[in-house]
Amino acid sequence: MRIPAAPATLPAVSSSVPLPGWDPAWSRLVPIATVDGQRTLHVLDTGDVLAQAGVEPDGTILAVHGNPTWSYLWRSLAAATVRAALQGKGPVWRVVAPDQLDMGFSERLPHGALPRPAAAAGAPDPVSANDAGYRTLGGRLADLDALVTALGLDVQARAGHPLLTLGHDWGGVVSLGWAGRHQELVAAAMTLNTAVHHDESEPIPAPLQAALAGPLLAGSTVLTDAFLRVTTALGHPGLDSDLKAAYHAPYASPERRGGIGGFVADIPVGPQHASHPELRRVAASVADFARPALLLWGPKDPVFLDRYQADLLQRLPQADLHRFETAGHLLAEDVDIATPILRWAGQVLDGTARTRNPEGAVLTTPGDAASDVGSGTVGSGWNETTGRPLWSYLDDWRDSSAPALVDMAGDDQTPLSWNRLSCVVDAIATGLVARGVRPGDRISMMVTPGRDLTAALYAALKIGAVVVVADAGLGVAGMTRAVRAARPDWVIGKVPGLAVARSQRWPGRRLSVSTLPTPLARALGVEDSLYRMARDHEGTRFAGPRHADGTVHVPAPTDPAAILYTSGSTGPAKGVLYTHGRLAALAGLLRDVFHVRPGSSLLAGFAPFALLGPAIGATSVTPDMSVTQPATLTAQAVAEAARAGHATILFASPAALRNVVATAGQLGPEDHAALGRIDLVLSAGAPVHPKLMAQVAGLFPRAEFHSPYGMTEALLLADIDREAIIELSSRSGAPTAEGTSPDDGVCVGHPVGPVRIAIDPLQADGNPTGNLLEGLDAAGVLGEVVISAPHQKAGYDRLWLTDSLSRRDAKDGLDWHRTQDVGHLDAAGRLWIEGRLQHVAITAAGPVAPGGPEARIDAVDSVSRSAVVGIGPRGTQAVVAVVEVATTDRARPPRPGLASAELTAAVRAAAAPVSVAAVLVTDRVPVDIRHNSKIDRSRIAQWAERVLSGGKVGTP
Amino acid sequence: MSAAPPLRVLVTGASGLLGSGVARRLVESGADVVTLQRRPSGVAGARDVLGTVTDAAAVEQAMAGRDTVVHVAAKVSVSGPAQEFEQVNIGGTGTVLEAARRAGAERFIHISSPSVAHAGTSIVGEGAGPADPGRARGHYARTKAAGELLALTADSAELRVLALRPHLMWGPGDTQLTERIIDRARAGRMPLLGPAAALIDTLYSDNAVDAVVAAVTAVDRVHGEALVVTNGEPRPVGELIRGLATAGGAPEPRLRIPGGLARGAGAVIERIWEAGDLGRDGDEPPLTRFLAEQLSTAHWFDQRRTRAKLDWVPAVSIDRGLELLAAHYRRR
Repeated sequence: MRIPAAPATLPAVSSSVPLPGWDPAWSRLVPIATVDGQRTLHVLDTGDVLAQAGVEPDGTILAVHGNPTWSYLWRSLAAATVRAALQGKGPVWRVVAPDQLDMGFSERLPHGALPRPAAAAGAPDPVSANDAGYRTLGGRLADLDALVTALGLDVQARAGHPLLTLGHDWGGVVSLGWAGRHQELVAAAMTLNTAVHHDESEPIPAPLQAALAGPLLAGSTVLTDAFLRVTTALGHPGLDSDLKAAYHAPYASPERRGGIGGFVADIPVGPQHASHPELRRVAASVADFARPALLLWGPKDPVFLDRYQADLLQRLPQADLHRFETAGHLLAEDVDIATPILRWAGQVLDGTARTRNPEGAVLTTPGDAASDVGSGTVGSGWNETTGRPLWSYLDDWRDSSAPALVDMAGDDQTPLSWNRLSCVVDAIATGLVARGVRPGDRISMMVTPGRDLTAALYAALKIGAVVVVADAGLGVAGMTRAVRAARPDWVIGKVPGLAVARSQRWPGRRLSVSTLPTPLARALGVEDSLYRMARDHEGTRFAGPRHADGTVHVPAPTDPAAILYTSGSTGPAKGVLYTHGRLAALAGLLRDVFHVRPGSSLLAGFAPFALLGPAIGATSVTPDMSVTQPATLTAQAVAEAARAGHATILFASPAALRNVVATAGQLGPEDHAALGRIDLVLSAGAPVHPKLMAQVAGLFPRAEFHSPYGMTEALLLADIDREAIIELSSRSGAPTAEGTSPDDGVCVGHPVGPVRIAIDPLQADGNPTGNLLEGLDAAGVLGEVVISAPHQKAGYDRLWLTDSLSRRDAKDGLDWHRTQDVGHLDAAGRLWIEGRLQHVAITAAGPVAPGGPEARIDAVDSVSRSAVVGIGPRGTQAVVAVVEVATTDRARPPRPGLASAELTAAVRAAAAPVSVAAVLVTDRVPVDIRHNSKIDRSRIAQWAERVLSGGKVGTP
Repeated sequence: MSAAPPLRVLVTGASGLLGSGVARRLVESGADVVTLQRRPSGVAGARDVLGTVTDAAAVEQAMAGRDTVVHVAAKVSVSGPAQEFEQVNIGGTGTVLEAARRAGAERFIHISSPSVAHAGTSIVGEGAGPADPGRARGHYARTKAAGELLALTADSAELRVLALRPHLMWGPGDTQLTERIIDRARAGRMPLLGPAAALIDTLYSDNAVDAVVAAVTAVDRVHGEALVVTNGEPRPVGELIRGLATAGGAPEPRLRIPGGLARGAGAVIERIWEAGDLGRDGDEPPLTRFLAEQLSTAHWFDQRRTRAKLDWVPAVSIDRGLELLAAHYRRR
């Protein structure tokens, strides 16, 4: 079959193909001087629209689509930039996005034959076209060059007008390749899913194998629209039919689709392919690109797999990366890409985006997401203000026989001395380095808290490796998502975890904890075990890994230490990056504020804190419990652990404490004596009810009771003690002595140590103002809680946009963190939490935070738990109260649905002055797994919206 | 400041709860009020012209010298032959509009219904969509939609037209909804459809009167559009029915019918009523598809624009309204 030439055209908007979101004013035809003569491209160019509006662009974004899309892909960016320009918001960007030759509405070249894979032989100019005249990578790079020249973008760039490149799919290869060769013209490069290098040891992604199979290529790409249809079916969620029609519009017949097949035929699948050398040149030039780079990635892409993202990150270590966990190949359709692109492009103009120096070191700027993430510097950097290195007690107390660890959950419950722990940590660190672990390597720890995890963790910290902790509470799917995002170099696990890693094809080399039988180790892909390392390197002192020049590497306070995953109770779990310095600051805070001191014995049933004992010089005691199910902690287990470890401090969640109280009947006199030696009970993870506190106080007669407030991003922020909780609860519901109305929500106390807490008031539309209030200025004002502390997160991992938005404040030159909690300060400076920002109901009367009315409804006799949610459109939402009814053992719980008249009246009265549209009863208010306390209000809102629209009741 | 000359108002349909309430309030505020309906309005101080809006001569007579029209009259029912609805709700509206134009009236408040823009699916926090006779369900909604379009098309700088769509009005003296629910609940015949949890906006009658009176002033600023008017306090339909029944001294309704079944049964009953003699005595069928949809899907509205444009907020909350209703029935 021959494919005839056809001129470029302007896309026609019609009722059958409405091209939603496309503005014909953007369309233009641009003749370009290519290697084989003048050709005409159809180009999306917002330049004219901006000129007509009289605005001058501050920069230009040159965007290149892939196969088989066209410049329609960039319409949301074009629209957003024009809108921002007309509204005078931020810098003005011109978007220039060509349809590549043979693609979209650009000129069709004549082809004597259908495209064939790897058809290089006999082509007159194999660099730019193959034997049937289909453009190759080299030709496409030259075409882009010709367009830049035709539009004078090169002249502008040389005159100082910033030019940013953007690409997607094979357009990513073209745009990155062009940027790599023209660094003198390019201010920064951005790309969505793409790949510039394929490791030949890896298989070709499955969807391409079919298209690339020689005999099928033309059939699937040109003769039929199969390849096109498969691509436009990759939306998450699926594309509307109008959008699909828009993508299909320029490719209606086989004569129009030659370029699709030509593109596929040009995929350099092996070294024998004609475009292979060109792709290698592109990959090399990308690795030399020292300007700022942005990667926006949709992980659900069946073609551009995570390994291509990892490759790009290696070539562009300065790159900012945001992974949109819910998006795939067509992330430009799946998510809003304009917001991150414009935010990031603004930083390029400000000069605050990260670059790289000629030696390849990443240069950071103050206030940047990774400003205190080290760049591999040698030397300690530890001093008075940074606090002690996390492993310092292990070194200092190497000769101590005092107990460092007591693990009641493991097989061996005998206390492990500081001497033994120190030796084991050094031996494992030596073994890990011998195995190939390097500073900066990521190690995913699939190990439950206890002695094994503690030893592995401190070995990794001493090396300067980054520990990735995603707890099993996320479930297999959630953990897999987290591990794929963090992309560890190593996975350390026990058999169940390693089996999951194997079946879910997690990245990373595998190490087991105990030494596995060879067949099992082989089946799980396990290379070595920690126990073998501990045995083989017993007695070796580990000073640190050695650099090539023989110097010893000691992790600096600014080096990354750990990535902790959030519970994922509000969307996909996020990786939270901590540096050594920030964890050391946390240890210091525990010591200074909570009196967890060298010599204390910390019985921790709460995951993050179970690991900090060795860093503080405190004995760590792990009770026999399932850490992912805090409610499995029994009084007996606490007493046994307390006895064995001479515990002085108990750290547990309210869910765990509830069960401890519930099982206290089993305790004997010796058990009570052990509990009587505990002098501090810390309850974290959720607010604690005064009734529970009184019961806990009965079990631990000598103990002070504190309930700290924090989150994965900043583990300790505020603290309230028992006396304050009791005092506040005694006056709840009644006006205070000062005559003001009682505070809404849950009081979490005063900020601790150096923590600063500010409130950003919510406006009527529910959005914060951006103005941080502190102290009395914030008293009684509902807003987002924004904090600043030396021990807060160093950043979110591979979530550039989330990170950038969370740290957008600059008050007093500090690094702030937006918690997305809402609440207020009281006149005494205490923080009250009233819920999550995304759970605030935006009613016609203004924002309503759930915490206040929920607390009042919970006080209604027959209610055991409640959730207050908004349904309907933001701005005019109706407030709905969903309650779980307290039932006696024999009474049947009420059927989910409308509450009785009496209960409705009682709940409405309790919620006042908040006006409640409906009161629904459910058998169970869903809560998160990790804390058994965070109410899943989004799920409840969905259920309420369904029921109150007349849908089936069911359960939330 | 000199006092503005009194308004000269025609209220059509002033024998009903809303029309008479508006007429009475306008008289109290000093307006010169004429009413047009078949039976005496009973509004002290108003001049009654007896007739229907389909009678051009009667309309002409009532319109003489009027500068303001509040057009409440309509055939309000959930069933009946199409022709009657068309005559009153489309033809009658056209007649009143034409007479108003010829009389040189400046203000025209057209009382419409949210059902004119409703195609049977849930309405969750929406504003007033355009009236759509093609999609509206049942003769009433279809003809009211056409009537509203007619009224809004007549909007001009000279004759300013504003359409109000009160949603499910209830209160003491309301025979359309309140009385029927209470009567049926007393007889044990008031069904709750499905879980009866669909969230529904309603409007207490005194608030409706206030809103219309507010519109008479507001129409000088805002016209040529339709505004839905509700209490802005959506409630589950089961709770409303329970509240109205108990306020009227009836027991709580216990009869439950699955929603889907009710919609199907309603459609059947509706056709039987239309075809046969059963509806002749003016009674309504026990259930229509329209009513079944109304009672089993959400209908609540964004009231921000309405309140801002009318410069009005409901003075009586739903809870207070139910207390007033209970007091009304205790007195009877």
